[in-house]
Amino acid sequence: MSPDELDEILLSDDFLEPSSGFAAGVMEAVRREAIEPSSLPFPWMWFTAGVLACLVMAASASVLAPQFYGLFAPFAHSGTELVYGAAAVGASLAITALPRVLTRD
Amino acid sequence: MKNEEEDVADAARVIAGDVAAFEGIVRRWQRRLISLAWRFSRDRSTAEDMAQEVFVKVFRSLARFRGDSAFSTWLIAIALNTYRSRISSEGQPLLSLDPARAFGTEPGVLQGLQQREREEALRRAVLALPQRYREAVVMYYFEERDLAETARILGVPEGTVKARLHRGRELLRSRCAQFEPVAAEAVKEDR
Repeated sequence: MSPDELDEILLSDDFLEPSSGFAAGVMEAVRREAIEPSSLPFPWMWFTAGVLACLVMAASASVLAPQFYGLFAPFAHSGTELVYGAAAVGASLAITALPRVLTRD
Repeated sequence: MKNEEEDVADAARVIAGDVAAFEGIVRRWQRRLISLAWRFSRDRSTAEDMAQEVFVKVFRSLARFRGDSAFSTWLIAIALNTYRSRISSEGQPLLSLDPARAFGTEPGVLQGLQQREREEALRRAVLALPQRYREAVVMYYFEERDLAETARILGVPEGTVKARLHRGRELLRSRCAQFEPVAAEAVKEDR
């Protein structure tokens, strides 16, 4: 097949006429789209602020924690593991709650 | 450019809240979008389905049209992306490229073969090209050999479009050459 013949065939491809009712079908779909509320975009800004807040808190805790070891000394002989466990749970809850407080509108 | 002005005016009305104004865009573009989808699918109902999807996407995206490019370029680019996604997710439609089915080998069949059937076999062969060549070939001929417009729609330099067209045409000619020996043999047997 020559290049010219190829060109001629591909250039002469048919244009399809829309079937009757096509435009009406499109407008129906468009009207449905107009009525439906648009989906909410993911709040990337607040998400990033929350992640950064969590990282700052975690870094601060790792730096400051040794300074607070002394506070737990009186409890050393009274269920040490339970106390440290409770302190860890409390600190975790504070870390998860604080970014939400900081990023609230 | 009259259509371009009408498109932009209708788009502005739609953005302002007049949804009915979108019908003007639909009526001006339905034939072109369905025809472009047809060139990617060779199936009428698939083509109309894809074209409808494009119109809904255009409606959703109207507020983002900044006028950086012509409305036609922007709309056709959305259409191309939509058709590309559909083909990626659903695969190419199953169309026969088998020379025996395209041309027939029974005595008398080839002599009755219309030029139209040969042309349709070539157009179906376009669908079997690798994506980047297929899109270059379809868009170039759809845009009536406007290389600059094709490059704008595809988002690549003109040189890249030229190279892809060249390679696409080479592949088409080699695939068509596979049909020719079958055709020649059938004619010989028939005589």
